[in-house]
Amino acid sequence: MFWEHFAVWVAAFLTLGIYSFLYKDNPWYKLCESIFVGISAGYWFVTLFWDNIYGKFWVGVFPPTHVNELGESVRTAQPDYWLLVGAVLGLLMLLRLVPKIGWLSRWSLAFIVGATAGFYLINYFSSNVMRQVQDTIMPLFGSGFDASAYVIIGNIVVAVGTFTGLIYFFFSKEHRGAFGFSAKVGIFFLMVTFGASFGYTVMSRMSLLIGRIDFLLSDWLGLIR
Amino acid sequence: MQYIRPTDGGRRSRLAFGFLSILIVFAALSAPVVAQDVVADTPADTTAVSHVPAPATSVVVDDYKYDFGDRLNLSWVPSIDDQIGERMVLGYIVYRSINGGEFKPLESLLPGASSFEDKDLHADSSYVYYVAAFSETDTVPSIHTQAHQPEREFIHFDLLWLFVIAALISFSVIYFIWMARAGKDLFVRKIAGLDAVDDAIGRATEMGRPILFIPGIQDMDDVQTIAGLTILGRVAKQIADYDTRIRMPVSRSLVMTAARETIKAAYQIAGRPDAYSDDMVNYVTDEQFGYVAAVDGIMVRERPATIFLLGAFFAESLILAETGNSVGAIQIAGTARPAQLPFFIAACDFTLIGEELFAASAYLSGEPKQLGSLKGQDVGKGIAMAVILIGVISVTLGKAFDIEIFNWIADALSTVFSKAGGS
Amino acid sequence: MSTRIKEILVVALVLVFCAIIYIGKVSGWMKGVTFSPAVSMIVIILLAASLAVILVLTIRGRLVGRRTVFVYVGIAVALPLFMSISQYIPISPEVRTLHDGLEDLQDGSKVLVSFDYDPPSAPELQPMAESFFRYCMDRDFKIVIMGLWPQGPLQANQAMEKVLEDPKYAAKNYQYGVDWVNLGFQTGNEFVIQRMGTDFRSMFATDYSGANYETLPIVKNVKNFSNVDYVFNLSAGYPGTVEWVQVAVDRYGVKLGAGNTAVQAPQCYPYLRSGQLIGILGGMNGAAEFEKLTGHEAKGTKFMLSQSFSHMIVIAFIIIGNVAFFMGGRKKNLSV
Repeated sequence: MFWEHFAVWVAAFLTLGIYSFLYKDNPWYKLCESIFVGISAGYWFVTLFWDNIYGKFWVGVFPPTHVNELGESVRTAQPDYWLLVGAVLGLLMLLRLVPKIGWLSRWSLAFIVGATAGFYLINYFSSNVMRQVQDTIMPLFGSGFDASAYVIIGNIVVAVGTFTGLIYFFFSKEHRGAFGFSAKVGIFFLMVTFGASFGYTVMSRMSLLIGRIDFLLSDWLGLIR
Repeated sequence: MQYIRPTDGGRRSRLAFGFLSILIVFAALSAPVVAQDVVADTPADTTAVSHVPAPATSVVVDDYKYDFGDRLNLSWVPSIDDQIGERMVLGYIVYRSINGGEFKPLESLLPGASSFEDKDLHADSSYVYYVAAFSETDTVPSIHTQAHQPEREFIHFDLLWLFVIAALISFSVIYFIWMARAGKDLFVRKIAGLDAVDDAIGRATEMGRPILFIPGIQDMDDVQTIAGLTILGRVAKQIADYDTRIRMPVSRSLVMTAARETIKAAYQIAGRPDAYSDDMVNYVTDEQFGYVAAVDGIMVRERPATIFLLGAFFAESLILAETGNSVGAIQIAGTARPAQLPFFIAACDFTLIGEELFAASAYLSGEPKQLGSLKGQDVGKGIAMAVILIGVISVTLGKAFDIEIFNWIADALSTVFSKAGGS
Repeated sequence: MSTRIKEILVVALVLVFCAIIYIGKVSGWMKGVTFSPAVSMIVIILLAASLAVILVLTIRGRLVGRRTVFVYVGIAVALPLFMSISQYIPISPEVRTLHDGLEDLQDGSKVLVSFDYDPPSAPELQPMAESFFRYCMDRDFKIVIMGLWPQGPLQANQAMEKVLEDPKYAAKNYQYGVDWVNLGFQTGNEFVIQRMGTDFRSMFATDYSGANYETLPIVKNVKNFSNVDYVFNLSAGYPGTVEWVQVAVDRYGVKLGAGNTAVQAPQCYPYLRSGQLIGILGGMNGAAEFEKLTGHEAKGTKFMLSQSFSHMIVIAFIIIGNVAFFMGGRKKNLSV
């Protein structure tokens, strides 16, 4: 029981400490920030050690055994020796600490960059380029197009916005004349998008504040029924 | 779910007769299949017991296209006693035999089912199936399929257009890199934010305050960090010319090394190697908010006249830009992280939006690889623009005036890009 | 008395005051406060009037500092929590399509829920998680939980515990391992999704508590995505919905619905339009709408009043700030 009260008070103390920065930078805030930085770094270290080095590599290469009904000790899974390749590449990364042979870490980096670039090329090109271009091919108006004004305006905004946005990011031609005008329309659409995005961010940040204030007023002080 | 069995005896007789007719036709059509194995429980018995449902018919097994040889598609025509409203069939059970072995039940399916995808198969085994329709009291098997082995395809032809378009853009990139290396002058339009760089450095010189350069919080494997450091080369050269101070706290050790090299080279080009010091760049911490706290402290204490925020930024973007704004610095920012751009646009004086960061880097460095990539991507954008323009016009005119050629163009483009999108 | 000592005294007084209230809560003589609709309206009018005064002061050239803005935002968030008035919540198309997609599933279907967020995003995403679980239990869905963020599975457990506190759902007697399972966290970001496309077990050899994958009846026949009927992703960033769309949807054709923080939602809307996503719950608003559609009004709905009030305050200060800007007082008189 005592620890429940203690935990709620610690959480409230840290929350108020962080919010005290809104008044000004102060020792209470610095204390809370240091605790946060220290705990998060420690948490990440422990998590990554147990999930990566132990959970993935060690358990993968040396699967645990269990005793079956016949009393035999059997492995829960087949060892995955491919993980040793990853482990070697990981060790090469640590060679950065030895300046003379530090260049070996580039092999690991090259593997990571190459594999990730290949993986992303397909994903992004397929999901974010091709599918989106296909989705932009849509009728804007017409007698055979049975749609509400809302849909028609929406289609026009998407088609014009995508097209002019692409013009803005086209670097092989100077933004002059009709091309320049289209680029200006494109940047207008971008700014509206950024505004909407900023609005969503305000909503998100407010949600976090609501969550903390609800904690303080409800879970801590019990002021809200 | 409750299933009500039909009670109309006349209807059952008609169904049994219908079923018999279908069975006879089917048996005639698929004689080789029937020859291989005859179902033990012959459906002909259903005439004797009137409430026995008709079996599923036309059971066909096909290879699943473009897989690793581990799937087969099974399809059938549902029993004629499996109809919405008065449904006698309560479902189907798929049976499978592997390499001529015993048939075992594989999956139970709901009424109305007409296909089943069998997964996790082996390409070197052969599989025979049959589907049993069941009612409350009876189970009626279909005839068996032919034995089928799943095949493995090595090329996914559904993604042909994705390959073609990606290859076109990739070859464009290679072609332009080659052109740039051959000394051909590749045009890149001037980036608006870059004009402000000279003014911002001049301002810091006049005010006698330092310039702060933040290359984001990612390592050297992030192309945004590399673009940031490329721009740093140009900025550092001007700083050396003007004899201004630069402060560059970084969050990655590799970035520290690369940044020192970049500034050192810039000072040498400017003819002032003696003015360079390693202290210009210092490592702070890898921890995101620890780094932010330190940089904020530097901003508040040293009050730089100009701040460059060029690289990969995350949640720290607004905190950094806000603090920089509050100390009255001119801020030039650039990132390709869409979620962070609104904050830079709101709090900074000039912002390189998305790809402008890479374009600025290519423009300033004139490096063939960067220029070639930029131009190659322009080819991709050109294709996208042309497709959108032609597609939208075609589909709109096609819908408005019902002109076949426009409908055909729109359909063709849509098909190509839907295939390319992997759908 | 120096400023520092005054500040320490104020903090000490606040903490003592809070301690008294806390003791009141623990001992039971402090029952909490609720504003009646009349009092709520008076509070709203007073708030609006004070904003009007600030606007007039701004027009006269007297600008307020940022701390005033902070105080107003704090008040706008806190006071609605005491109010007994409710807010009309219209249902947006993206939430409706997500709900319709779930309605199309048969009772007893198998759903995979990926918890890709951590406690800082919980105020937005936890209400979504809880209402999604309630909906699943109403429909007797089998729930398979996983996380691409280390603390995601913990959030899932908290949400499940919260839902099971309700006697209605406790009576459902959802069995761990049979009706729901938490497979835990796996490192590797989108590569985890990629591997799950061929074999779940290769990524989750054990569940959250260490039980072998094969011993869990709920996933006994779950080899890959084709063995689950629906995937729901709760995401606060990377890895999250974008990666699920790119890999799980576009490569393996899964049906995907998403619950996003408001920061991330705009990035996901293009996927909604192109049909790669069935629907999106965007931020607290999305959570409230989903709660309304599923008939379980909970925290998302409760917090929406605070959300709306705080937005009104932000809009008011944007207007006041622009008035100040156009009257030329931006640089001269801004006090901090």
